[in-house]
Amino acid sequence: MAKLKLALYWAGACGGCDVAVLDVNEKILDVANLADIVFWPIALDFKYHHVEAMPDKSIDVCLFNGCVRSSEQEHIAKLLRNKSQVLVAFGSCACFGGIPALANFATRAEIMERAYIEAPSNENPNKTLPQIKFKVDEGELTLPELYDDVLTLAQVVPVEYFVPGCPPTVDLILKVVNALATNSLPPVGAVIASEKTLCDECDRKKENKKITKIYRTHEIIPDPEKCLLEQGLLCMGSATRGGCGSLCVKVNIPCRGCFGPPAGVADQGAKLVSAVASIYETKGTEDIEKMVNEVVDPAGTFYRFGMSSSMLKRKHLQRK
Amino acid sequence: MKAARRIPLLKKMLSQFGIEDKRLMLDWVSASEGDRFASIVNEVTEQVRALGPLNWNQGGKHG
Repeated sequence: MAKLKLALYWAGACGGCDVAVLDVNEKILDVANLADIVFWPIALDFKYHHVEAMPDKSIDVCLFNGCVRSSEQEHIAKLLRNKSQVLVAFGSCACFGGIPALANFATRAEIMERAYIEAPSNENPNKTLPQIKFKVDEGELTLPELYDDVLTLAQVVPVEYFVPGCPPTVDLILKVVNALATNSLPPVGAVIASEKTLCDECDRKKENKKITKIYRTHEIIPDPEKCLLEQGLLCMGSATRGGCGSLCVKVNIPCRGCFGPPAGVADQGAKLVSAVASIYETKGTEDIEKMVNEVVDPAGTFYRFGMSSSMLKRKHLQRK
Repeated sequence: MKAARRIPLLKKMLSQFGIEDKRLMLDWVSASEGDRFASIVNEVTEQVRALGPLNWNQGGKHG
């Protein structure tokens, strides 16, 4: 059998997804036996023009991590879409927008203002902002355009599979590699993780889902055996897809929701508002007010990884 | 009782999305209070009408 041609790309990402691929350690040799890596910016010196020169659909599988928030990222997403038979949204950013999508609570203009003018480390009296084009004596310089919205990969091009996680776990990556090696990929559109919620897979003791106070993670040291939500920590497990191996909850850290909504849940944040408000015991309006105050940042907590793919997608802009 | 807790939390979250408080209202009306129900619905309809349509950032890339 001819070796598979594999491409990996990072768009709006921290690099953690690429590191996760390297974390498969010695199993990376299995990947090398199985596939020729034809493009991988973090590790190999291929350029965009090498990809442009490839025939269409000549890459068998492309693992694309990171969100799409610039013209360069969109260009490469479209390029890799054309060159790849199977395009995989790899990691929470490519699947749901991820942490970068929290920028959807601001506009591009606000982000530029903060980053280049307001931030105390700046010395920018002329209020110079990055320009897409700039003329100098030698010619015209260009930069990619930063988009107003952070987008998921599937909001830009069609995607075959979704592998969630911040980053996807080694087990999940090996599951993908095995599926490729044995030609047993699931139906197109599948999320390669679990069909259950994290709560369903969690080993912690669940007793009485009633709380009277919400704690932030730095405020208490939770009991290592009991359900974290029952201890008043905002654990996202009830509205988050499983398949991660319960890594965070096993080390006493509440789930942050990086695997996105489980099958059948349209909006992770809305589900979590419902879940948290349901279990909070209140006797009157004062208690309700207390609960609302204790959830310090509901949107940022409940859509920590899922802003781009949520129903609301971004902060609504006031009419001018 | 769950609704009484969910709606205030949802309202706090929606305000972070820039969605005006007056677009969502929770009230309790008995089945015998037809007039009150109608007046509340009219009130909210007028509030939302005054706010106008949500001005979404539809472009995706360029606002």
